[in-house]
Amino acid sequence: MTTVLEVRNGSKSFPGVKALDDVSIEIARNEVVGLIGENGAGKSTLLKIITGIYQLDEGELIVNSRTLALKSPRDAFDHGVAMVFQEQSVLPTLTIAENIFLGREQEFLRFGLIDRKRMNAAARDELAKVHLDLDPATRTADLTFGQRQMVEIAKALSLDSRIEGEVIILLDEPTSVLEQREIDLLFAIIADLKQRASILFISHRLDEVLRVSDRVYVMRDGRVVHEVASADAKIHDLHQHMVGRQLDHRYYREQRQVAADERVLLKVEGLTRTGAFNDIAFKLHAGEILGIAGVVGSGREALARCLAGLEPAESGDIEVGGASVRIAAPHQAVAAGIGFVPSERKVEGIVAALDVSENMSLAAKDRFLRHGLIDFAAERETATTWVRRLGVKTPSIRTPGGSLSGGNQQKVVLAKWRIAGSDVMILDHPTRGIDVGAKEEVYELIRDMAAEGLGILLLADTLEEVIGLSSRILVMKDGRISRTFEAPVGAKPEQIDLIEAMV
Amino acid sequence: MPAWLKDQLPLIVLLLLVLLVSLSDSGFMAPGNLLVVTADTMTLFLMASGVTFVIMTGGIDLSIQAVASMTSCIVAALLPSLGFAAVPAALLSGAVFGLANGVVTTRLRIPSFVATLAVSGVATSVAYLVSDARSVLIAAADRDAYLGWAVGEIGPVQNEILVGLFVLVGLTLAAGLTPFGRFVRAIGSQERAVIASGIHADRIKIQAFVISGTLAGLAGVVMAGRLGSGSPTLANEFLLPAIACIIVGGTAITGGVGSVWRTFIGALIIAVVRIGMTFIGVSVFAQQIVFGLILVAAVAITMDRSKVATVK
Amino acid sequence: MTGWGRYRSLAPVLVLLLLCLAISAINSNFLSVPNFVRLLSAAAIPMVLVMGATFVILMGSIDLSVEGVVALTAVAVSMLVANDVTSLDLGFLSLPVALVVGGLIGFANGFIHVRLRIPSFMATLGIGFACVGIATAVLGGYTVRISDRGFRDLTLGRVLGVPFSVWTAGLAVFVAWIIQERTRIGRWIYAIGTDEVTARQVGVPVERTRIWVFTIAGLFYGLGGAMSAAQLGQGHALISQGRLFTTITAVVVGGTALSGGVGSVLNSVIGVLIVVVLTNGMVLMGIPPFVQLGVQGVLIISAVALALDRTRLQVVK
Repeated sequence: MTTVLEVRNGSKSFPGVKALDDVSIEIARNEVVGLIGENGAGKSTLLKIITGIYQLDEGELIVNSRTLALKSPRDAFDHGVAMVFQEQSVLPTLTIAENIFLGREQEFLRFGLIDRKRMNAAARDELAKVHLDLDPATRTADLTFGQRQMVEIAKALSLDSRIEGEVIILLDEPTSVLEQREIDLLFAIIADLKQRASILFISHRLDEVLRVSDRVYVMRDGRVVHEVASADAKIHDLHQHMVGRQLDHRYYREQRQVAADERVLLKVEGLTRTGAFNDIAFKLHAGEILGIAGVVGSGREALARCLAGLEPAESGDIEVGGASVRIAAPHQAVAAGIGFVPSERKVEGIVAALDVSENMSLAAKDRFLRHGLIDFAAERETATTWVRRLGVKTPSIRTPGGSLSGGNQQKVVLAKWRIAGSDVMILDHPTRGIDVGAKEEVYELIRDMAAEGLGILLLADTLEEVIGLSSRILVMKDGRISRTFEAPVGAKPEQIDLIEAMV
Repeated sequence: MPAWLKDQLPLIVLLLLVLLVSLSDSGFMAPGNLLVVTADTMTLFLMASGVTFVIMTGGIDLSIQAVASMTSCIVAALLPSLGFAAVPAALLSGAVFGLANGVVTTRLRIPSFVATLAVSGVATSVAYLVSDARSVLIAAADRDAYLGWAVGEIGPVQNEILVGLFVLVGLTLAAGLTPFGRFVRAIGSQERAVIASGIHADRIKIQAFVISGTLAGLAGVVMAGRLGSGSPTLANEFLLPAIACIIVGGTAITGGVGSVWRTFIGALIIAVVRIGMTFIGVSVFAQQIVFGLILVAAVAITMDRSKVATVK
Repeated sequence: MTGWGRYRSLAPVLVLLLLCLAISAINSNFLSVPNFVRLLSAAAIPMVLVMGATFVILMGSIDLSVEGVVALTAVAVSMLVANDVTSLDLGFLSLPVALVVGGLIGFANGFIHVRLRIPSFMATLGIGFACVGIATAVLGGYTVRISDRGFRDLTLGRVLGVPFSVWTAGLAVFVAWIIQERTRIGRWIYAIGTDEVTARQVGVPVERTRIWVFTIAGLFYGLGGAMSAAQLGQGHALISQGRLFTTITAVVVGGTALSGGVGSVLNSVIGVLIVVVLTNGMVLMGIPPFVQLGVQGVLIISAVALALDRTRLQVVK
């Protein structure tokens, strides 16, 4: 078999994280290779390396027997690697034909003008490959989501007749937006495609991966941990490999897990936002850490943002501390006592130009006001107290928030909500992008908050983290709560149970 | 360039320019002349002072010259009948147009450079209506009675300077001591984090526009007093220098950093550059070219590019 | 797209028709051939300017230098043809000069905006003011009178009873439409305006396209400047006053979104007609000319607010 694409001993680091650690994979001609792994396992970094968005720190990327340093997706495309993006790159203001050949109109130019007839005819040929019977002059804004995905695939396939050498197509979660009928069609196309291209298929849905691919790689913690021919693979084993090592109870401070109070801090009923989550109901008690697990697109991020007032729900009731509240904007959530620690800390968490104490008092409303002016003494005192209490490492409380490390920024954001007096905390990936030492400190702080009787809604980075920290876990799938697990110390659910409820 | 140097650059540039001009013109450093120069700069500073807040939030107000012209007409037209009350009336009309700017850009979600451009059209129309498309003269008696606070003198010091200092101190205190000032900085730095913290960012932005409109209005009143008339085109040619002195002072067009004090320095820089150019014989008309280029250069230097993914 | 969204693109045409109906109901002079010719003639120069501005706005940028470029090219042209200030007499040769000058300033706009990475509204504001400055400085505030009758026929001469300026504007629209529909630049403008990041990923040369588009806009302004000089028979720095406002109003009222990606030069043709018909109507009704500026301001605001795509709401600065 001829290898058409290979990553050899590839490593890639970002500040604080080793995203890829000595990864080697290869794809043979006319082979369909599956790639699976949990969120954060390194799949998307690997994809971005192969499509030229990122470059390897160490190791080699070999395409069609040549070692390359791809500079951009276009560069990758010109070398025969086409990516079908998860977030679609089809532009709604252009026609199907224009989208397929965007940036490559050269071949249709006549006297400097685009020959539309010829371009549309060529597009029709490409559409035929994906069995899409549409007029290439249709604007893609008028297509369904699934059809747009097919156009995207047709665009990738248009490489086929245009370059020398092999074509490699990367499909990133292509089925997540498709109807069953379209999924079947896609699989038929993949089978057909195999005759002339090699395919890397990434999906959360293991059954689908096994159905279409010849061979599967499992990734975890930035490494390839398992490789198996699909014919020999068992779903249960794959789950095991995705999960990996046993938990260390002390790492997540399980000894500090407290039994939840009877007191309900947050009660949600029938909460719905079309296309994101549906009929969500749960209660959050004082002292409870309620984890929400789910894959990307399960609706858990949208739910967290909804409760923070950032993306209002269409229907449903929210009660905070027994009183019914309307949460359509962040100030209503804040007033109700809900604090939100966002996953994008630098966008929605920390204000870079404000100093530590200013950041800490940002949500505190009138607490530091006297006669309409800022009471600097009181503010300074409170900030100093919280810097000490949370162990924020900063030269001074006058240091701009933007110049702290990720972990310390996170502590400042936490302090902001503690000072504002929030008793419900929504933690959206609170340890994302912070280094290992700081992670443990954040775990400690989460335990502190629970011990003080706050209610915590946790969207964790990994399954390990959600199990280790939570006292109860909701699993979301396709916008609904699919299962609830009690997670008392000593009787925590297994990761594999969660995964089976997630996918 | 080290951070402290970049921070103090406007002041250093100002001092160097003053030195340069005084070397070639020995009369420049005379106390009397310095006062005159400062007094002449104050209308420009007043126009730019309020916009500073708008720019610090990351927006812009292109309506200031139209608003200033309008209030010059309003104050000139109303002085004979209302007396001193014409002054607050003019300031109020400036505030109303500032409010319109703020509401249009935040509630209707129109980028501020277009919103304020559109509102300035309305302001100009009002100016023409009020003035009947002519210069409105202010009687000397009215001027002395009601605008003396702006154009008179106390001892050797022109009142424009006092008005300017009053605004400078007032706005600096507002920026430093009130939540408003802090939120303005915060919005310019990271608006989404401010909103997520439960703060009504839109209200703060509207307040900034109101301050900008009011102070443009004040600038119009002072100009009317100095020139003895109001006219719908009185403040034309002031927009560019006003924006330029904010940016030259070191307030970034991308928002988040800046101060009214910097704008004050910036206004003096522009004034000294203008004097220097006049001295070496650059025509008044050609100075506009230089200001255009200074503006572009200053934007390029002060802008924080890490904050914008795509520059449009 | 559902319901109203699908038909929104027709809204400007509807507005134009209603406007015509309303005005003709109030004043019977509106529906007359001489008035139509007057309308078209008034629309000619704005039409040319708007063609350039539309491309820039489709890309999600803005060009505030219209008045500066028009003033400068008008002054340049008026001093190159037979006039009362210089002894030159280049006649129609001044036309390519205007285009080159306009194109160069447009290039400067684009180059500064792209290479120094500063927002287009700032770059074009600065350059625009500088151009007005140059125009003023060259003449020291005076006005040049053009004595070249032949050159003035560029706008005033009539073919089939219609002023030549209207034919020129028609040609400009045609050229702009070809650029939009049949060239790579045209397609890339839409791609950039819709999603610059994706456009770059698929290999659209974003920076180069941006500079090109500002240059093309400058060429149209240059033509507009030459036409202004020919129409008025003179050149001075204030010749273009109010042009920026009309231009942006027309683009926006025509239905091209300020956020980029949505709209067309044909939309802008409708936009110009709306603005010109409205002005004409106000004149017929005896409304003082200076009110028109205010009306245009309100028009911009309402058009942008109505066209706002609420699914793409983000932080607006």
